[in-house]
Amino acid sequence: MQRLVLACLLVLFSTAVRAQDVSIPVLVPLTGFLSLEGQSQRNGALLALRNPPPGITPRFEVADTGVSPEIAVNAFEKALGSRPLAVVASMLGTQMLAMMPLAAEAKVPLVTVSGTAKITEMGNPWVFRFFPGDAVVKTAQARYVIEELGKRRPAIVYQTTAYGQSGREHLDAMFRKLGAPPVFEEGIGVDVKDLLPVLAKVSASGADVLALQLHAPSTALLIRQAASMGLGIPIVAGSAIHQPSTAALLEPRELAGICAESAASPISGGSAALEAWIEEYRKEFQSEPDAYALAQYDGTMMVLREAAAGARTPEALARALSSARYEGLAMTYKSDGRGNMAHSAVILCYDGTSRVPQIVKRYDNIDGVL
Amino acid sequence: MTTLLLQLLLNALALGAAYALIALGFVLVLNATSAVNFAQGDMVMAGGYVAIALAAVLPLPGIALLPVVAVLMAALGALLSLLAYFPLIGRPPVAVFISTIALGVMLEGSANAIFGAEPRAAPALVGAGAIELAGIHLPYQRLAIVALASLLILLQHLLFAKTQLGRRLRAVAQDREMARALGIAAAPLIAGTFALGTGLAGAAGLLLANEWFVTPTEGTNYILKAYIAVTIGGWGSVPGAVVGALLVALFEVGVSSALSYSVATALLYAAVLAILFFRPQGIFGEAAQARA
Repeated sequence: MQRLVLACLLVLFSTAVRAQDVSIPVLVPLTGFLSLEGQSQRNGALLALRNPPPGITPRFEVADTGVSPEIAVNAFEKALGSRPLAVVASMLGTQMLAMMPLAAEAKVPLVTVSGTAKITEMGNPWVFRFFPGDAVVKTAQARYVIEELGKRRPAIVYQTTAYGQSGREHLDAMFRKLGAPPVFEEGIGVDVKDLLPVLAKVSASGADVLALQLHAPSTALLIRQAASMGLGIPIVAGSAIHQPSTAALLEPRELAGICAESAASPISGGSAALEAWIEEYRKEFQSEPDAYALAQYDGTMMVLREAAAGARTPEALARALSSARYEGLAMTYKSDGRGNMAHSAVILCYDGTSRVPQIVKRYDNIDGVL
Repeated sequence: MTTLLLQLLLNALALGAAYALIALGFVLVLNATSAVNFAQGDMVMAGGYVAIALAAVLPLPGIALLPVVAVLMAALGALLSLLAYFPLIGRPPVAVFISTIALGVMLEGSANAIFGAEPRAAPALVGAGAIELAGIHLPYQRLAIVALASLLILLQHLLFAKTQLGRRLRAVAQDREMARALGIAAAPLIAGTFALGTGLAGAAGLLLANEWFVTPTEGTNYILKAYIAVTIGGWGSVPGAVVGALLVALFEVGVSSALSYSVATALLYAAVLAILFFRPQGIFGEAAQARA
């Protein structure tokens, strides 16, 4: 009888252990043109998964989704084999769009930091975006240009990728809404090396400010060439330049006066908890954290917290993520009903003496969700 | 306006000079083996990273690192021939085509694993700074790129035109079997051609990686430029490769200045199609034994 009770207890105990053991695969672009941002996304997720809250033991595998939707879909289908509670999903918008129908069919939450607006505009209840979408950050970027810098003739240079075009649409619409329609717009491919032609056209257009929506290498190239030619108008960039590895490509003098929007700027410092997180990140990955890493950390940690609190099935987790409010390291997160969890942005600027930017303006609760 | 045009011309020349080194290495291997080396673009990328790695241990200007980069890359080129060409002799040209693509993918993955995905900058050839001449901003780096690439192209020309080694290399490129019949050992010369072509790619990598940065995925873009340059210049033509590369850069910068980058890209491919249709032998005519 004693043995039977012991056996029953062991079965119950092992069941309990299994219940705490949740699978959260990490499917991110580690190769291709978005690999820099993808590695930050992975690092943020890993830092959370390696330091879960008490009561939860995450299992996770990391898969590279490259840059094609097919690879992302294959990785997602493979990940379904582990019966995931949620998936940390690629920040590449086209890959998200490819995975979303499968996630809806499999009923698995996708937790991402993709900025592409469309992913939360398709009525898919399984998408949760922890990075402010273009509707938030482009609003902050345009408002800073018009309200703080007082400029009225903006030019927009954007990348011809989904990321670039999505940002351009929002910037264009916001500038028009603020009564300052763009005087010049042009898209450039990720392989374009010489940016003097577009800078010359910006200059000739009579623009009094240049807003960028470019990936990291193009942003650095443009800023360098603008400094070299003496463009003479302020540049307010997208979030790419806030990445320490991007700023490292440029001399501090080349960065003088450059501003950018971002969800956050971890290296600019902040609360004690954030400082501790930055130290942990540096120790773990021997590199400087950026806003993507911080946002994915916050998103993954919210998933883990909800799981520890009892949301042990994908359906329960999706319900929790849809209704809960979470105080993350970067900001407060809450769903707007469409999976947009982040609603704040910052504007940071470089003073020309170092590569560490200062936060000059914070825009909280831009869309009024909080 | 004139100042801007001259500024754009200098930029196009600097870019074209670096493209010319890539296309030149591509065409040398093409002539020696009749096979397309699709790893050439990734060799450019690798040259940039070799320069960055060297600069970490030898903090010298790029001009001092260049010979070391070229020699190391030449050794990598010889290795490439041993892995991706010699084992496939006698197979259809497409086998080498595929094997070099595979090697390029491996190089890209290795660069990503070793150096990370972020863009990096190699040391400047002669230091930062610029001179102003009649209102034109002339960065030292771009002037040095044009000068150095011209020198390397001239040296390569002298090697082929004036030396016994060059004559043997040309003999193997023109007719491998006849060269063998005349007692020329073809295999070491083919390996040497791979080494030379990759050395030039390495030099281009160093030149490009300072001004325009380098990422592990850069190779695809460069091989495309080389392929277009060689198609325009004449499949297998050495001067055609240089002229084709300069034309590609002038076209890119010129059309994007007048219209837009998207239009420039579309028109470049349209021009290549037109050349293939109306003058398939390219500007200088075909020199290669067969088109891959």
